[in-house]
Amino acid sequence: MKYTTFNQQSVNPLVEPMFFGNPVNVARYDQQKHSIFEKLIEKQISFFWRPEEVDVTRDRVDFQKLTEPEQHIFISNLKYQTLLDSVQGRSPNIAFLPIVSLPELETWIETWSFFETIHSRSYTHILRNLFSDPSSIFEDIVVNEQIKRRAADISRYYDDLIFHTQLWQTQGEGVHTVDGEVYEVNMRVLKKKMYLCMNSVNALEAVRFYVSFACTFAFAERELMEGNAKIIRLIARDENLHLSSTQHILNLWARGKDDPEMAEIAAECHEEARQIFISAVEQEKEWADYLFKNGSMIGMNKEILCQYVEYIANQRMTAIGFEAPYEVKSNPLPWMNNYLNSDNVQVAPQESEISSYLVGQIDSSVSEDDFADFEL
Amino acid sequence: MGKPDTTLRIDVVDVGCVDAISDKTLLECLEHAGVECHFNCRDGFCGACRTKLISGEVSYTVDPLAFIDDDEILPCCCKPLTNLKIDVPL
Repeated sequence: MKYTTFNQQSVNPLVEPMFFGNPVNVARYDQQKHSIFEKLIEKQISFFWRPEEVDVTRDRVDFQKLTEPEQHIFISNLKYQTLLDSVQGRSPNIAFLPIVSLPELETWIETWSFFETIHSRSYTHILRNLFSDPSSIFEDIVVNEQIKRRAADISRYYDDLIFHTQLWQTQGEGVHTVDGEVYEVNMRVLKKKMYLCMNSVNALEAVRFYVSFACTFAFAERELMEGNAKIIRLIARDENLHLSSTQHILNLWARGKDDPEMAEIAAECHEEARQIFISAVEQEKEWADYLFKNGSMIGMNKEILCQYVEYIANQRMTAIGFEAPYEVKSNPLPWMNNYLNSDNVQVAPQESEISSYLVGQIDSSVSEDDFADFEL
Repeated sequence: MGKPDTTLRIDVVDVGCVDAISDKTLLECLEHAGVECHFNCRDGFCGACRTKLISGEVSYTVDPLAFIDDDEILPCCCKPLTNLKIDVPL
């Protein structure tokens, strides 16, 4: 089916599936098939922040004081995070927008991706402050073997879905030969690719970020690189929300609350989806190995980090109806919760209702007491 | 003039009974009583505190955004309305 930016056919988005139905036409949110996405949009927008708001100047001094292995840990993590958000800043848009069928989900995907671009810009903000010329750091992201291995695995499912969607939207269902390679395109194949891609994205949001987050917060526990930690804390809060959205999508499918064919596919591809998650966990452990290859940092080592990855993987997997595969029961890094707790994230005055800040605005809450000194 | 005891009780499977504290979320009540419960965001969107509700009713202080099953609740953003029986994953 050819993609159109404004579908001229009258469609009822209340009966469309999330994906592979009719293209969206009117961006309307007065009625929603899955209201959760509208709520997620509201929440995400309420989280709005800019990297420039966070002062990272003290980090430069701290960075000079770090040992060489610690500098390696810090910079490698930033590189990996930069890679992850480079992918996430564009891929949901390119992969999902051409096939989405609900206006509220379409807007959620755009909002989600937009926030990933804020994250990307904040890595530049951090690196610019640490180095007068951060080019060598950015350039290494595409040549560093450790990072490339991860990039290949992360982008694989996206690329596969995008390519097959392009074939379907330009040539329709059937068997197509491109550059000597034969591709079978039909709705079942497309939906399977969609399901696996969403699982890969879910695993990315669920565990891939967390080894790096843990290291950042371990520095902050020692009162080092605190500007960076402040930014990563804001990023972690956003990522938690993104994770909630992919969990909702996967659960809506698996429980037959959206497209019934996706429920069949979820059952059929369960093992493959599980494997995507497990290999993401394995890769994160390998990453921990690479981080600590030159030596440890105070308060953190490879073993604790691997246990933490297993601990959160258990939680994230049960959230999408999978068995918890790992032994670890209690949180090996309890202080992480202090950084992932959104109560502790500073609220900007314009976000909360402080009337003194609202210049020229009306405070709509009026009580009887306000008229106490009022005389006629 | 003895006031009738209106304190709600929270029965935590395999742990024991805990008193509810008015104006506190269920998570805060559990923490106050020393019952360990996972949490991250404390704002209903991450789902880390997902807990099975076996019996009773709760009301939410904010709209829970994290995915929860029909028989699950998010202790970080709800308060008990009745006596509860819950199973906190350990």
